[in-house]
Amino acid sequence: MVGSPVLFIAIPLLAAFLIPLLGFVWKESVRILPGLVLLYLLYLSLTLMEQVVHTGTIVEVIAGWAPPWGINLVFSPLTGLLTTLMILMGFIIWIYSYRFKNIDFQEAVKYFILLLMLITGSVGIVLTGDIFNQFVFIEITSISAYALTAFYKGRDSAEASFKYLMIGSLSSMFLLLAIALIYSQLGTLNMADIAAKAHLMKPEFKILALIFFITGLGIEAEIFPLNGWAPDAYAQAPGPIGAAFSGIVVKAGVYAMIRVMFTLFDVAGTHQFLIVIGIITLIIAEMSAVRQEHLKRMLAYSSIGQMGLVIVAFGIGTEEGVFAALFLMLNHAIIKSLLFLSGSYLVYHSTGKYISEVDGIARNLPITSFLFALGSIAIVGMPPFAGFWSKWSMLTAAAHSNLILIIGLVLSVSLIELVYYFRVLNRIYFFPKKKEVVVKKPTINALLAMGLLGLLILIIGFYPDSVTGYLHAASQSLLDKGKYIHDVLSTGQLLLP
Amino acid sequence: MKKILVLSLLAVFGVYLAEVLFKIDFGHQFFLNGVKDFYLTASPDKLKVANVVTSIVVNFRGFDTLGEVTVLFLATTAMSSILYKGRHKLGERAVLFSSSRIVMTGSKLLFPAIILLGVYVFVHGHLTPGGGFQGGVIIATGFLLMLLSYQDYQVSHVVLSVVESLAGITFASIGLIGLLNGGTFLHNFLHTGVLNNLLSGGVIPIIYIAVGFKVGAELTGLIYTALNEKD
Repeated sequence: MVGSPVLFIAIPLLAAFLIPLLGFVWKESVRILPGLVLLYLLYLSLTLMEQVVHTGTIVEVIAGWAPPWGINLVFSPLTGLLTTLMILMGFIIWIYSYRFKNIDFQEAVKYFILLLMLITGSVGIVLTGDIFNQFVFIEITSISAYALTAFYKGRDSAEASFKYLMIGSLSSMFLLLAIALIYSQLGTLNMADIAAKAHLMKPEFKILALIFFITGLGIEAEIFPLNGWAPDAYAQAPGPIGAAFSGIVVKAGVYAMIRVMFTLFDVAGTHQFLIVIGIITLIIAEMSAVRQEHLKRMLAYSSIGQMGLVIVAFGIGTEEGVFAALFLMLNHAIIKSLLFLSGSYLVYHSTGKYISEVDGIARNLPITSFLFALGSIAIVGMPPFAGFWSKWSMLTAAAHSNLILIIGLVLSVSLIELVYYFRVLNRIYFFPKKKEVVVKKPTINALLAMGLLGLLILIIGFYPDSVTGYLHAASQSLLDKGKYIHDVLSTGQLLLP
Repeated sequence: MKKILVLSLLAVFGVYLAEVLFKIDFGHQFFLNGVKDFYLTASPDKLKVANVVTSIVVNFRGFDTLGEVTVLFLATTAMSSILYKGRHKLGERAVLFSSSRIVMTGSKLLFPAIILLGVYVFVHGHLTPGGGFQGGVIIATGFLLMLLSYQDYQVSHVVLSVVESLAGITFASIGLIGLLNGGTFLHNFLHTGVLNNLLSGGVIPIIYIAVGFKVGAELTGLIYTALNEKD
């Protein structure tokens, strides 16, 4: 036993409480400690993942009380995959922001605590097997996200953060109502127990709880029309935080929603519903992305669009569909983070972050521009890069389910993506440079972080087999509801006196 | 027209909501096979904790409490991060008028009593109603009283953040010691003692005392930051 899943929560919390104290002793430790923690957790998640794929789900019980009574964490192939992905992205974002903007000591303490908690909260949402515990982790994630959105303390970032805070509080309220409704009917908060007893719930309660869950979690997962906060928050937050939102936080929101719909209640028609809202989100977001003048807003709308695509892929409902959805999530996390990280260097000194300000910047920032171009080409889905394989698996999944409409939709959306990404690339490479634009050279750690992401895109692009094994195991574990319930509730029998 | 549409949609949803929620007959035994009965028997029998609410908050669902403590910690961190620039100079607080001598003397007299009450509430959290969160809030109100009545009353940010961090570290470390000792995080590894004694319940009172310190320090810090913010 190398370690237990609870360390994914306990160690970062301990580190977050320790950071202010260590700051009194040695100031640099504030920046180093989160990285060490994330590196250790990355090692732990990779070893546990290897173990889980071969020997089956680990269910970790907390405080010694068996599942329906106590809280438990579930490290299954699915949750393990997402945990590993989130911690990997968190570590890369930490590398990128190690010397970020030369913020002073007091600000660095807050920044690194909030970043670490943003990652931990998202990991908690994925790992927990208890519905109220998930709510607590959603709170942790959201509060860190509000604060990080307002990190620059400007007028616009305060507005974006306030908007996010208001919508996010509404989301928490709906979630709490849903949880209260379930508890009033079943008397339990454990996800597996709820799933096993869901048939005892009266249908009207079930539907109402599901509506509350979709509204609450849809806000976190950026589903239309609940995503009004997203473009502002992405555009106003510091660059690495934009990457963390699209690479980590949204993934947690989508996971929570899928877990509710696939495991907690499988009401008839949820898959069709997912397809419909996914398509609406996808079309509206991609149409808005084309019209954006601001680089970060364009990336934000593109991010929302990709989430719509993921939701559609989950809605297909077959094992192939879930596989495609998970593959899309994985690739989107890596590629969109690269785009946010490199894009924020392209418009570093600009206040408006306009796309027109990147004209001819490739001559001054060759490596950053190259990485941005790599990300753009990969996210559109050009072969041999990572994005191609996920879109390909989505197309085959749709074809095997006879959903011709979705195939047409995916292809036409890719065309729209091609238009707005190549519009930026065209400006970066072929327009004359504007004199008044001041260029900021990326720091060594920023280059390292972006290079790592670029490398991941190439590795997944040329050797997709390196991840597909894990993705298949994960999609099987999501669809096998009976096994999930059995795994969790059987740990109870072992522990009971 | 748009407003009427929105209002009528909300009305339809509201009627549906009311329809469903009124079907829950609150106050009756409306579910029989839930987890509640286990808590009611296990709390006095196994944990030797008289206050069932405390045993649920700190032990059965202690992981949630660790999360909630973190939420509070993040809220203070977030607030001081956003209000970091623009502090008033010492003694220039946003309170507009100085208090009268009666208020000042009165609050000086009340302050120790309030702190004592707060400490009492969180130390006896496993025996009587109340606990770490409630006790911490009471302590913070004592500091609020002092900050409001004295223009120049100072609270050290360093002390607050040290108390806050140490309390958080205590909570997380007790959890990890449980993991090493009993195999599960937050495992109650001390002797549970005799029901209704002050020293009973194993680690539960220790965690609740840490929570009390943490909540008290955090809320005091929040009030202090807010009072010293520039308009």
